[in-house]
Amino acid sequence: MKKQYAISLFLASLLIIAFAAIAGSGRNSDLPSPPAIGATIDDFKLPDAGGTEHSLNSLKGKNGAVLIFIATRCPVSNGYNERMEALARDYQAKGINVIGINSNVTEPASEVKSHAAEKHLTFTILKDDGNKIADRFGATKTPEAYVLDASNKLVYHGRIDNSLKIEGVTTNDLRNALNELLAGKQVSKTGGAAFGCTIKRVS
Amino acid sequence: MRFRLFILFIGLAIAGSLAGVAAPAQSDGVPAAETAGVREIDLDGLKKLIQRDPKDTRPLLINFWATWCDSCREEFPDLVKIDADYRAKGLNFVAVSLDDVADIKSKVEPFLKEMKAAMPVVLLNVNDPEPAIHTVDPTWQGDMPATFLYDKDGKVVFKHFGRIKPDELRSVIEMQVKNK
Repeated sequence: MKKQYAISLFLASLLIIAFAAIAGSGRNSDLPSPPAIGATIDDFKLPDAGGTEHSLNSLKGKNGAVLIFIATRCPVSNGYNERMEALARDYQAKGINVIGINSNVTEPASEVKSHAAEKHLTFTILKDDGNKIADRFGATKTPEAYVLDASNKLVYHGRIDNSLKIEGVTTNDLRNALNELLAGKQVSKTGGAAFGCTIKRVS
Repeated sequence: MRFRLFILFIGLAIAGSLAGVAAPAQSDGVPAAETAGVREIDLDGLKKLIQRDPKDTRPLLINFWATWCDSCREEFPDLVKIDADYRAKGLNFVAVSLDDVADIKSKVEPFLKEMKAAMPVVLLNVNDPEPAIHTVDPTWQGDMPATFLYDKDGKVVFKHFGRIKPDELRSVIEMQVKNK
């Protein structure tokens, strides 16, 4: 009888621990975590939407790079097209290049190419088949931005700004981070939360 | 005397029913911005929704979703079934839409109708989502869908970012409705 009681108690404890683990984690356990701020990102290669292969180091500017996970069909990502293009133009001259990455399995390279032409996106957009780079960055939604300094150290990870509607923008988190980086300062706000579309990964 | 009491009773009944028409009963304690359909809430409304009435000891399930979010749309039928199965057992389920307020009539309500959704639905209308996201959970970065279950004391006992696994959520709800 005592043995049965002990087994029941043990099983109940296991259940409680399991539920506590479920409640505590939240993040989809199938997805890798993003690198910590300050981590150095290894170079990688991906083809652009036309099939030409590029490395991160060949695309970044002398002062760093902004990697933005984007989509062709996501209304949130599309709401930022003009702002991303303006960002690319403004900061290219300052030695920071914007690189788009499309990791959605549902959006083929041909669609990425035609979408960029239609929306007048002139910065390089890489096609991440198999979402390997999205996994490496722990990217989960579009748009989602990562800022790397000249030595590929991650200094910012998060939203572009506070509002999907351009007229509602009051906080330019990404631009603020880039300006601080260019000024040789430590980035004061290293991230920002916003809603976005889930990246469609290979199953 | 009996007649006066009868008149008083009828009067109260009429007043009560009129009040019900003007402001439908809110199961989540959030003031209504509209009298029917999807109601609009701001950051304070979201805080009230989460904090709720301390006398309300029902487990509270909150799902953040939007019509533009494919994974949200895909999991919605499972959530409708969960609401149907557990509401009578004491689950309070509120869906929080993150759609644009201009899309309530054109996208949100038609989708809910198509889904035969019966749970209360509110639409979070904020200019900056970050305070709202961090009010709900400081570790949440806005990934959607996002689902939270609060126990009778208002403590988070389950959270999930991304499409839910219905069996996993059901097992946690089952435990909470038994404990309420």
